[in-house]
Amino acid sequence: MLHVKDLTAAIGDKQILKGLDLDVGAGEVHAIMGPNGSGKSTFAHTLAGREGYEITGTVTLDDADLLEMEPEARAAAGVFMGFQYPVEIPGVNNMYFLRTALNSVRRTRGETEVSAREFLSTAQEAMDLVEMPKDFLHRAVNAGFSGGEKKRNEILQMAVMQPRLAVLDETDSGLDIDALRIIAGGVNALRGPERSMIVITHYQRLLDYIKPDFVHVLVDGRIVESGDHTLALHLEDHGYADFVNHDLDASGRPLSGATS
Amino acid sequence: MNSTATAAAPELPTKRDEAWRYAPHADLAQLTFGPGGASAAVPAELEAQIPVFDGPRIVVVNGIVDPARSELATSITGLTLSTVADVLTTEPESLTRHFPTDADPVDAFAAFNAQFGRDGAVIRVAAGATIDQPIHVVDLALPGAGHNTSSTGVVIEIGEGSEATIVETRLGHGTESGGANVRTTITLHDHATLEHIVVQDAPPAQISLSRVDVTQGANSTFRGRSFNLGASYGRVAHAVVLAGAGAHAELSGLYFGFGDQTLDQQVDIVHAAKDCSSRQLYRGVLDDSSTGIFSGGIDVQPGADGTDAEQENHNLLLSDRAEANTQPRLEILADDVACKHGATVGQLDETALYYMRSRGIPAAEARRLLINGFADQVVDHVSIDALRPWIIDRLGHADA
Repeated sequence: MLHVKDLTAAIGDKQILKGLDLDVGAGEVHAIMGPNGSGKSTFAHTLAGREGYEITGTVTLDDADLLEMEPEARAAAGVFMGFQYPVEIPGVNNMYFLRTALNSVRRTRGETEVSAREFLSTAQEAMDLVEMPKDFLHRAVNAGFSGGEKKRNEILQMAVMQPRLAVLDETDSGLDIDALRIIAGGVNALRGPERSMIVITHYQRLLDYIKPDFVHVLVDGRIVESGDHTLALHLEDHGYADFVNHDLDASGRPLSGATS
Repeated sequence: MNSTATAAAPELPTKRDEAWRYAPHADLAQLTFGPGGASAAVPAELEAQIPVFDGPRIVVVNGIVDPARSELATSITGLTLSTVADVLTTEPESLTRHFPTDADPVDAFAAFNAQFGRDGAVIRVAAGATIDQPIHVVDLALPGAGHNTSSTGVVIEIGEGSEATIVETRLGHGTESGGANVRTTITLHDHATLEHIVVQDAPPAQISLSRVDVTQGANSTFRGRSFNLGASYGRVAHAVVLAGAGAHAELSGLYFGFGDQTLDQQVDIVHAAKDCSSRQLYRGVLDDSSTGIFSGGIDVQPGADGTDAEQENHNLLLSDRAEANTQPRLEILADDVACKHGATVGQLDETALYYMRSRGIPAAEARRLLINGFADQVVDHVSIDALRPWIIDRLGHADA
């Protein structure tokens, strides 16, 4: 489904991703963990299509070249990114925003637009999923939302958009335990055999709720270790020290012993 | 100056006049004035631009009321509609506030208007009446032979405890220079409420000058909205005097410029009595090499204790050649006054655009959503449902 090969990304002279490889199969949930500044968010944005990076390498989703696409085309191809810092849009209400988003991707895919009634029932289900209050649809997008509400809104949008690939960037940051439970519940409800997820997080805590199939450690722009969910537990106990400031071998992997 | 004035022509304002600092003085000097003439033929495409909503309508063409397009006879209780020309004949003394003899006009254009603007609309609401339907005054400028700028007068008087909504739409036609010079005088008696909307969307070759003078009695409420959209130079000036205790003035405006337009809003609110409140909320969207001006005055006179005045001006620049000039002018000569003002000039939020695009919304649509989201915060103040979409449609000009 998603294939990332030798991906590099730079802003000006600053190289952030330095040859990232990742394969995500249909229905799989991959967690990407790593210390601050390792390139986790940059990786998410290169998938979603933010401008401003110089990028090399290949990224394909269902064999389509994502790197050639504008952000809106990627959304139509099935990419959804949950933002670490969801953006406030005063003057644009959630109902109009969501319906425009949904119908835009449907138009691009050659599908019929949803009617107001169909949309409302879709939106209501999504609101129930993350326990959003009734007045949500009439409020401006994220304007005046609490931190927890903003993150819940990301999952709500994901539920409406029904993406093929969801990239959740630090969806757990700044959340109390109740909000974390709601969000993880929403994410788990949206797991399915045709939907893949990349869950980017700094802490193992989220992975207690969203159990990943694979865990990758991203350090200095490369994935330096991959494993199953027990790798996250190892990181919880030992931190990232094993992977940072060590010598890399010729292929960019930590020298033997670094992870033991 | 090529005025047909018989008296000595009044001296035009210059860049040294603060209220005219950013105006295109060379273009203003090309305007010529004269008495309203025979009605010009109104082209169908201009007619089609006029917003339509329920309620009586008065149409003024080149400074003269067009009886065929106007409905002066109304069955609405408490409402009287007449023409300035008729009232000047039958009871000229009732128009002394509009045509004062004891005070000099504030500027040359007010002087030209007082001299030549001898027709237009007179709207009177009797005491204790609530007028449910909006009254629509349409001013059409069709520059032609003789002089190129029309002069129109609008006189509004809202009786004690009465309520009304009045829309003044200014449109024009043609590619020749010229335009419209409209002066409105509003009197609100005690406890009266008026929503007054000025919508200006003249063609790019024209200049549109609007001046609205408001005097408010005790506990009256004036809600002034201005939408300054068209013309090479579009000017909407409001001078509001809160003369009676407890009066409330709420002014909001949107200016939406593109090309090399200059859109000028001059607001002066005088707090002359105790316990009055005023609000100014103006927003500007400026594309290409357009210029927006907001100059907002709050003048709290001695003895106007308990004044509560706020002013906000926000500008969105869509191009690096666009310009916003914002100037608060506060003069406070009373005690116990709460005054607040703030201004911002910003650009479209790139992060918000990216966020919307990442949800599948195409870039142009995302841009339009953000711009309209900014502008809607003024458009939403308009209480006439049928007028809001008309205004929003006209904002689309910027994308043309």
